[in-house]
Amino acid sequence: MDFALNEEQELFRTAIRKYMTDLGKTDIARSVIDGKLEVVTRVTAGFAEMGISAIPISEEQDGLGLGALDLVPVFEETGRVLLPGIQLETIALAVPLINNYGTQVQKSNLLSKVAIGESTISVAWYEQNRGLTPKSFSTIAGKTTSGYAVTGTKTLVAVLGNPDFFITGAQTAEGKSLFLIKASDVASRKILSSIDETQQIAQLTFDQAPAELLGELGEATQMLDDALLHFNAALCSSMVGGMDELVHTTTEYAKIRVQFNQPIGRFQAVKHGIVNMKLDLETARSLSYYAAWAVENDTADKQTAVHSARSFISKAYIKAAADSIQLHGGIGFTEELDVQLYLKRARYYENYFGSVRDSRKKTAHSLGWHTKSTKQTPVPVF
Amino acid sequence: MDFTFTKKEEKFRSELRGWLEQNLPEGWLKGNRKLPEDSKLYSQFLRDWQRSLYEGGWAAIAWPKEYGGRDATLIEEIVYHQEMVRVQSPPLINYIGIHMVAPTLMQMGTVTQKEEFIEKILTGEQVWSQGYSEPSAGSDLSAIQTTAVKKDDKWVINGQKVWTSFAHVADRCFLLTKTEKSEGKHDGITVFLLDMNQPGVETVPIVQMDGHQEFNEVYLTDAIATDADVVGEVGKGWKVLIALMLHERSGIAAQVFTLEQQFNRVVEMAKAVQVCGVSLIEDPFVEDGLADLYTRINGAKLNYYRNITHTLKNGKPGPESSLDKLLVSELTKELFDFAMTIQGHAGVLMAEEALFDSDMQAQYLASFGATIGGGTSEVQRNTIGERILGLPKDLGR
Ligand SMILES: Cc1cc2nc3c(=O)[nH]c(=O)nc-3n(C[C@H](O)[C@H](O)[C@H](O)COP(=O)(O)OP(=O)(O)OC[C@H]3O[C@@H](n4cnc5c(N)ncnc54)[C@H](O)[C@@H]3O)c2cc1C
Repeated sequence: MDFALNEEQELFRTAIRKYMTDLGKTDIARSVIDGKLEVVTRVTAGFAEMGISAIPISEEQDGLGLGALDLVPVFEETGRVLLPGIQLETIALAVPLINNYGTQVQKSNLLSKVAIGESTISVAWYEQNRGLTPKSFSTIAGKTTSGYAVTGTKTLVAVLGNPDFFITGAQTAEGKSLFLIKASDVASRKILSSIDETQQIAQLTFDQAPAELLGELGEATQMLDDALLHFNAALCSSMVGGMDELVHTTTEYAKIRVQFNQPIGRFQAVKHGIVNMKLDLETARSLSYYAAWAVENDTADKQTAVHSARSFISKAYIKAAADSIQLHGGIGFTEELDVQLYLKRARYYENYFGSVRDSRKKTAHSLGWHTKSTKQTPVPVF
Repeated sequence: MDFTFTKKEEKFRSELRGWLEQNLPEGWLKGNRKLPEDSKLYSQFLRDWQRSLYEGGWAAIAWPKEYGGRDATLIEEIVYHQEMVRVQSPPLINYIGIHMVAPTLMQMGTVTQKEEFIEKILTGEQVWSQGYSEPSAGSDLSAIQTTAVKKDDKWVINGQKVWTSFAHVADRCFLLTKTEKSEGKHDGITVFLLDMNQPGVETVPIVQMDGHQEFNEVYLTDAIATDADVVGEVGKGWKVLIALMLHERSGIAAQVFTLEQQFNRVVEMAKAVQVCGVSLIEDPFVEDGLADLYTRINGAKLNYYRNITHTLKNGKPGPESSLDKLLVSELTKELFDFAMTIQGHAGVLMAEEALFDSDMQAQYLASFGATIGGGTSEVQRNTIGERILGLPKDLGR
């Protein structure tokens, strides 16, 4: 029994934390709000230098061939400072999709560039008013002499830092399928205004965009679900990082802010409020570690591990940020304080590729709650 | 990270399993787990059970070998509690003796005290209670009013204890008294190992809200103790009290696994109980609520594993382990609260008439004690806020 990150992972955490501090922590996110987007390119290069973007990529494609657990310290630390960009989409969604379903050629063309920081990839899945699991896509892929051509409009696509490729879902005769499209082949792009201004989401229009098939025709949903295990594990770590920072800053504020001649942290309404945040944080961290462990080891309970973690953490993150605003008083309601940025990020993630309700449903199904009851024994066997 | 048990640990598990199959009371494994109603028979039944645990070498596995334990590792303790919870073993009547008093005596008792008490605690010959709380001193134990006054070579004790678990069956009491008026709130307190079988000690059972009588009032009227009964130094009992409370934490493993088992039972109920031919679990409200509880209960267990790992790596528990009690006790309450809700109006039926489990309604009622006994949730939150987060202390303390 050993339930902790190993020494190298903790050392890696220290290094990433230092890098984030050198970049000015949430200053990076605030630069994006101010429209200074160069910083995002710098981060992509920095990530490659530190070997972060190479973590989940195999050695054949110039990667490190490491697993989901090695991403835990990375995303906790980027989540702590609300690092803007599409690191999660590239490293934890596009890479697993290409790793699992790409051809040898696609892997060598795409992944080594990601590993060395020359490329980022986003996922264009959503369509307007169709939710996460549409019966069919309105975006259509037609066969051409050299491959496919995709036409249609996608929305809610994360585009900060200008990804070079999009993995998109489109309808074919066989059903919903996945395609790779070069960013330069996107017909038009409209940035959408979003509650989280530290990120950028866009509506993309494809007009006969040349596209390469990824994986099997008609298998888009199943492929996405599979890759989302990686994505959700990483997303959970990112949210845990944010929660950790919220507990820390709220605690420190409660020690120095004086009212009625005493630090407000002495009032139990405040103290217990922060303790409740801390309890959620510890549970969130345990669940996220376990989720990453289950993904890395491809365990039988990985569905349960990931979806239960996501269901708890999405909700707990919003609560931590909301409570933190309240415990700060007036200053908590200002633009100046970072806490509001955490709330907006938490909201941005809440329903991203799956809601709390979806995750709980998946948890219930993966635990076999909807299969016929088996015979009960008075003494269960583990 | 690694969640497997070693060969040695699994061997330990199968050894214990084998022993339990041979030695649990008649019919226990088949589900006949009723304890005697009558207080005397109840006490005898549980003393017999402890005696056989002792004879098998399973009464106090964490104790050092020199005292009759097994020097069990933390992981073996996990395995032990998993197995005990799995078979829903009869309660340990001398829980306080084994998990709290004896470890404290090993740490700070005199040679004579160790010789006189530790073995009897192990065999179950001597059952112990813990006399801390009083009518006007619960969360604030520094307010105790029970006095011990030296007369000639004897200590004469007067006062009243309350909520004293097991006192009605106990032979001895780990008793907190005031021996001098003092400036500091934590000074002048002395701990005695009080003999309860004497005329000056009167025990009156209290009926709990779940109908059981497991705790008591204890009236002390010129009760007698000697110098040999004092733990540590006279007037320095606060240190002893803190030492014992640290041992109290060891019960968390059993609580974690019990909660997990109780949760699985509620899921079984939600699958088995049907309304108009549809299982409760098919109701999205039920499914959603149970998935949420599953996640948080599993999270509490994983927190516990993380804390155990910390302890194994650092040689001593980190402060985070104090979160476990709070989480587990609060979750137990929430679980049964939800279990009541989803049964609909038939959920009011209990015992033999219960919709699914004859014990569930009683467990719901009993769950309220979990966030009060052993330090209330509010007091736990104070402790966590101050010790772990470093927030300023309550003015009164
Ligand atoms: C099942 C059970 C078994 C028990 N067994 C034993 C036993 O064997 N031996 C023994 O000595 N005692 C035992 N107790 C007693 C238990 O330790 C006390 O009940 C507990 O410490 C609370 O004390 P109290 O009942 O006096 O409540 P109080 O201290 O009066 O508390 C009343 C309310 O005030 C709150 N409160 C008190 N102080 C604070 C504060 N500083 N900040 C915020 N809120 C506060 C409490 O949280 C609670 O909600 C047992 C209790 C139970 C329920």
